[in-house]
Amino acid sequence: MNPSLLPIGKQDPLLVTGAGGFIGRRVVARLIEEGFVNIRCFVRSSGDLSGAERLAEERGAKLQVIRGNLLSTEDCRKAVEGVPVIFHLAAGKAYKSIPEAFLHSVVTTRNLMDAALENGKLRRFVNVSSFAVYSNRQMRSGAIFDESCPMDEKPELRGDAYAYAKTKQDEIVMDYGKNRGLPYVVLRPGVVYGPGSSGVHGRIGIDTFGPFLHMGGSNFIPMNYVDNCADAIVLAGLVDGIDGEVFNVVDDDLPRSRQFLRMYKKNVEDFKSYPVPKMASRLFCILWEKYSQRTDGQLPLVFNYGRWSVDWKGNRYSNGKLKSALGWEPRVPFKDAAARYFEYCRSLEGRQ
Amino acid sequence: MMKVAIIGCGKIADEHASALVKIPDCTLEAVCDSEELMAKQLAERYGVGAYFDDVQTMLKTVRPDVVHITTPPQTHFLLATMALDDGAHVFVEKPFTVTTEEAVSLIEKAKAKGLKLTVGHNNQFSHEAVEMRELVKNGFLGGPPVHMECHFPYNIKDVYGQAFLGDKNHWVRSLPGKLLHNVISHGICKIAEYLGDPDPDIEAVGYSSPFLRESGHDDIIDELRVIITTRDRATSAYFTFSSQISPGMFRFRLYGPENSIVIDHGQRLLLKFRQTDSLKSFLNYFVAPRRLSKQFILNSRRNMRRFWKGQFHVDHGRRQLFREFYRAIGENQDPPIPYDEIVLTSRIMDKIFSRISADTR
Repeated sequence: MNPSLLPIGKQDPLLVTGAGGFIGRRVVARLIEEGFVNIRCFVRSSGDLSGAERLAEERGAKLQVIRGNLLSTEDCRKAVEGVPVIFHLAAGKAYKSIPEAFLHSVVTTRNLMDAALENGKLRRFVNVSSFAVYSNRQMRSGAIFDESCPMDEKPELRGDAYAYAKTKQDEIVMDYGKNRGLPYVVLRPGVVYGPGSSGVHGRIGIDTFGPFLHMGGSNFIPMNYVDNCADAIVLAGLVDGIDGEVFNVVDDDLPRSRQFLRMYKKNVEDFKSYPVPKMASRLFCILWEKYSQRTDGQLPLVFNYGRWSVDWKGNRYSNGKLKSALGWEPRVPFKDAAARYFEYCRSLEGRQ
Repeated sequence: MMKVAIIGCGKIADEHASALVKIPDCTLEAVCDSEELMAKQLAERYGVGAYFDDVQTMLKTVRPDVVHITTPPQTHFLLATMALDDGAHVFVEKPFTVTTEEAVSLIEKAKAKGLKLTVGHNNQFSHEAVEMRELVKNGFLGGPPVHMECHFPYNIKDVYGQAFLGDKNHWVRSLPGKLLHNVISHGICKIAEYLGDPDPDIEAVGYSSPFLRESGHDDIIDELRVIITTRDRATSAYFTFSSQISPGMFRFRLYGPENSIVIDHGQRLLLKFRQTDSLKSFLNYFVAPRRLSKQFILNSRRNMRRFWKGQFHVDHGRRQLFREFYRAIGENQDPPIPYDEIVLTSRIMDKIFSRISADTR
């Protein structure tokens, strides 16, 4: 299908926050490929935009790099000036404490939205969120996990600063949509991977205690190759008639946990892993949570039932809404995506 | 029931709030931050009844008995003054103030008003630091300290280091001692506790590590070596701050005329070195290490016992400092950290920054 697009000219300036990041630089490149010639890249400090700069030069596009801080209202005003579409990817993912993650996700988003509304040109605010905002506590194992899944009402109990901050970020965006007319779309990617990321995701296993513990071997992993993710984000900024909608972003052909681990070991690095039965990991998380609560946090709340549900309970994932409303299809199939990822990981490991 | 308020709702405020809820006879009544969203998130998570974005309004509305100040250091003096003027006891996060003059002024004001002040030197109340204090008090060293060594590590490559390096307007950069100013008081206060001279001589060398120079941050000093000597030349100390030594070890060594003590905050251990441990014969090389290994095993057992009893939180020192501070308020005792120690810590830091900036010029 070909959904209708927002009436935006290729000369109109588009803003990408977090443009130097893992997903952001792909979004910039994708916008250039789409023919947009005036892209404003908001970056905090470092951030590699060299690939996008080369592409822009080839296509005759103009990249305007703004180095700033979204905590500064002045920087936000400068960034949004005349911009009809904002792709908001900047987030405080690296921060491990709730206040810092909140400051760099929620306060920054609020500043950006205020500036955009004040500017008056905004047609679309694409808020890039995460699967981390959902709670599947009440869902049974194997149930379909889609956009109807509720957001976590008590994200502070997950022991995950990023999950808390992203949940609050989504809430404030939706609140601005409802009360101040912000034309927003929320995108929630699953496990985004590709060249630029590395390792085995925590949904597959952990090495917190030394040996690698393989959790939930038969679970599907909601993987989303970074280029496919960037495609979805760009579409969310351009397709008309989807204001106020939320879309989950996962690829087709999702691998099971043990399948991905086997491939990783074969293609990148072989190591010993120890499978943990689902019931054992569930019991462990429940006991850890109870102990943490009973001793007032002597052990930090890093393992708990909420986390177990999200990471290791095991669900099936849908991208049906994204496909039907945005016309999105994963350009890179899992087989090719995994090959590119493993090749990158091997290069990091210094292996053939 | 004492009413408590927190000003500044960033990372460290969380640590205060979680420790405060366990203090008997006090209730966290209000939180305040110039960014209202930050105040609101803290209030929501800890079930605090009121949140504010203006300090004066909060003080006038809530009339707190105790105020915790967890804002950047540049604001400590002003906010603590406001809280003291409003009749509240004040807990100030480290570093206490930006200058010694401010520290002295705050302490004088607190004394004049009959209020208590303290600073967040929480490592001073870790199990091993308290045990060291007891040993010294009981004469274990065999006299005043001869020498001290404090190694204070810092991981500049972690998210916090990267945050301020990446932000040319970060508040840490506007402190006189920049990065050092924000963190070294944790190590300097250990020396200040045992030094015994309110105005010691200081020699300091500070420089940017090759890592910072290569990454274009040669305006930041992340390597510091200090020699501190009492004016009567009775006691000396070395202070080492490094972002490059790996693994980072936060260690304090206290050498006495007879015996010595070593504590390690990273591993939570305390080792005693006695004159009598040394054997005269060749056996010393075989027996002394065995005796030392026994101490390591005892430390491990002691830590496990504390864990079993639920006394081994990551922030145990902070919790203990809070308990002591609130006990001092409740029983009108001296605050847990002597004011002389707070002022001396500040004075040593002032002198270090002055030496370094003279070198830089």
